[in-house]
Amino acid sequence: MTTTTPRDTNPMDATPTDTSNVADRDKARRWQQGGSEPLLKVRDLRVTFQRQGQEPFEAVQGVSFDVHPGQTVGLVGESGCGKSVTSLAIMGLLPARGNKVTGTVDYEGTNLLDLSDQQMRDKRGKDIAMVFQDPLSSLNPVIPIGLQVTEVLERHRGMSRKAATPVARDLLDRVGIPDPDRRLKDYPHQLSGGMRQRALIAIALACQPRLLIADEPTTALDVTIQAQILALLKELVEDTGTALVMITHDLGVVAGLCDEVNVLYGGRIVERGERHDLFAQPRHPYTHGLLASIPRLDAPRGQRLNPIPGSVSDNLPWTSACAFAPRCSQPIEVCTQKMPELVEQHQRALRCFNPVEANR
Amino acid sequence: MTDNTDVLVDAQGVKVHFPIRRGVIFDKTIGHVYAVDGVDLQIRRGETYGLVGESGCGKSTLGRAILNLEPPTEGSVTFDGVDIAALKGEALRKKRQDIQMVFQDPLSSLDPRQSVESLLFEGMKAHGLAKNAKEARPRLVELLNAVGLPEAALLKYPHEFSGGQRQRIGIARALSVNPKLIVADEPVSALDVSVQAQVVNLLEDLQEEFGLTYLVVAHDLAVVRHISDRIGVMYLGAIAEEAAADDLYATPLHPYTRALMSAVPVPDPVVEDRREQILLTGDLPSPSRPPAGCRFHTRCPWRQETKCDTERPVLRIPEIPGVGEGHRVACHWTEQIQSGEIQPHEVAPTITDASDLGAVDESLMGPASISEAL
Ligand SMILES: Nc1ncnc2c1ncn2[C@@H]1O[C@H](COP(=O)(O)OP(=O)(O)OP(=O)(O)O)[C@@H](O)[C@H]1O
Ligand SMILES: Nc1ncnc2c1ncn2[C@@H]1O[C@H](COP(=O)(O)OP(=O)(O)O)[C@@H](O)[C@H]1O
Ligand code: SF4
Ligand code: SF4
Ligand SMILES: [Mg+2]
Ligand SMILES: [Mg+2]
Repeated sequence: MTTTTPRDTNPMDATPTDTSNVADRDKARRWQQGGSEPLLKVRDLRVTFQRQGQEPFEAVQGVSFDVHPGQTVGLVGESGCGKSVTSLAIMGLLPARGNKVTGTVDYEGTNLLDLSDQQMRDKRGKDIAMVFQDPLSSLNPVIPIGLQVTEVLERHRGMSRKAATPVARDLLDRVGIPDPDRRLKDYPHQLSGGMRQRALIAIALACQPRLLIADEPTTALDVTIQAQILALLKELVEDTGTALVMITHDLGVVAGLCDEVNVLYGGRIVERGERHDLFAQPRHPYTHGLLASIPRLDAPRGQRLNPIPGSVSDNLPWTSACAFAPRCSQPIEVCTQKMPELVEQHQRALRCFNPVEANR
Repeated sequence: MTDNTDVLVDAQGVKVHFPIRRGVIFDKTIGHVYAVDGVDLQIRRGETYGLVGESGCGKSTLGRAILNLEPPTEGSVTFDGVDIAALKGEALRKKRQDIQMVFQDPLSSLDPRQSVESLLFEGMKAHGLAKNAKEARPRLVELLNAVGLPEAALLKYPHEFSGGQRQRIGIARALSVNPKLIVADEPVSALDVSVQAQVVNLLEDLQEEFGLTYLVVAHDLAVVRHISDRIGVMYLGAIAEEAAADDLYATPLHPYTRALMSAVPVPDPVVEDRREQILLTGDLPSPSRPPAGCRFHTRCPWRQETKCDTERPVLRIPEIPGVGEGHRVACHWTEQIQSGEIQPHEVAPTITDASDLGAVDESLMGPASISEAL
């Protein structure tokens, strides 16, 4: 994507926070050649909710993926497929009661699931940060945003209030908040949705995270504001080498941003691939069907959409079948008899007994 | 154009201003939200007119004004040759039957305690189309068939359905009284991507089958372009550009339309990598303090020293050769922008104090806050 004029104050202008993760940037080049060690290795992550008096419900059913330094990995899928629960489990942010998390979340050799609450809080401040869909509920309403940034700097980077203030100012400037000196004193409710999301990104960046998890960060925003935030995230990733896990239901967002894309259905990954390859040749009938059902702004008009029949409420349990079988355009007998495994082949992972023909 | 029998809806100079009230019992009006601020719009029989624009630009309010659910502060709306505002009693009820609405959130617009049968029968009874549910039964089954639901659905309740199925029920309910016009406000935006297409196709099929006219209000430009014959792009209470769907996509003229189009992500990495994006800076201004002159001038990359800040541009047919019929745009400099004579420049971002919008939200609290205040 090339950006023509005009644009915001360039968030890439050198600021005191620019020094982060230069090593990661070099590593980032390496994963592109297939060399680097993953920063994050998620293995067989399962989250089961135990509601009082109800059957246990497994929202995430064995999700595995890697994130390399500097890489942007997408998790896409429809509402309820387990995207947010996956990210909350990685961050250790699920409620303390009523759920069970198993598997491993290996961050540079440490299984985050084994850490105490205190240790996890440190990790969240220092290494991993998260940006949510609704910035208003993740910002503290009674503290000016400038102070919310300086607090992170004081706590996690050991700065004094005095030293932290200009850094906070530069961070606000860098995420494209106009007139940052004045805005330091603003409360969240005084900012528009887009500016709040920028403030939240500034707070996330304050600790110079090596991994940023963004859960639908633009879903609540208007499309012109979404474009600003996506451009900002992209520039930050390119500049600092921060790895990004981008969670969204919007395949368009993924197409422009992510190096690798994981498609989720019913709590499991059904397909994974490099973005160009995946969009050019979706092999899983669900991915294929999704792409065929979306109206595209650039499509010739008068074409009828090709919907996926039914809805997620028709799903079969993964334990004994392919959950997608009732909605699939090309099921075969075995699809309703046992679960397809996720099989890796030629840079693509696929969970399907009868994938869409590759046309090359 | 008003005497054209082809025109089903004719809105002229429509304004809807909401007072912002403050003070102990909200007796003081401290300003207005200019939700809709001077819109002319015609919808032809049998067509789908799409209204797009960002949150708060007044799309829903304009839709409601056309239904006369929100009486315009100024201007008139003629439906089928009759001024709706002048109607009363029986005549108004009859007209209401001709215009039905489909909402964004099917769950909150359907009474959870009513079965599908009673939901569908309700409107028919109110308009004297059937006396009892038994008599209406064949029609109800027909309606369900039309929207792709089984007869067994009649005895179920809204919560027993998926989002897409609930939207089908909402559409069946709108159809039950044989309307001429359906105003659909964000009919698919609450639905999963895979289900959106089902409802879009259904709306298209029903239009053909029943000769319906649609006004579709949505923020998703790709959906609107797909479904509409003509599109109006709204910005801060006014129409910035209006054109046939194909023309709007092929030759967007207004700077805002261009920016909007270039911001829509396309699910194709090849397109995404190549795309030239016009990134707008700053926030959308508050509709309670719309900028003077051209409302887009605070964010417009083509803004000029003259006219833009002071004169409000009218929606007009530009003098550009080859521009499609009925393509109208509200920009002083369209011709010069299109010819390349005027080039885009950087824009210093302006920020909108959300407390301005907060004032609006307070006024929306209405009765609850009044009782609190007392
Ligand atoms: N009853 C009301 N009282 C006061 N202000 C209102 C009222 N209804 C709408 N508004 C304001 O009018 C403006 C336009 O609102 P409207 O709902 O028409 O926008 P919209 O384009 O439909 O936005 P969205 O995409 O968010 O649905 C907004 O600023 C809104 O807050
Ligand atoms: N705290 C919770 N208790 C019980 N069920 C939950 C909880 N959080 C999420 N779920 C369920 O887990 C599933 C996945 O949710 P989520 O990850 O939020 O989906 P999404 O992919 O839309 O982000 C959904 O069916 C949801 O209802
Ligand atoms: S496993 Fe069978 S039912 Fe499932 S997606 Fe593949 S072909 Fe379809
Ligand atoms: S009138 Fe001026 S400010 Fe408005 S859209 Fe045209 S060039 Fe931009
Ligand atoms: Mg979610
Ligand atoms: Mg609306």
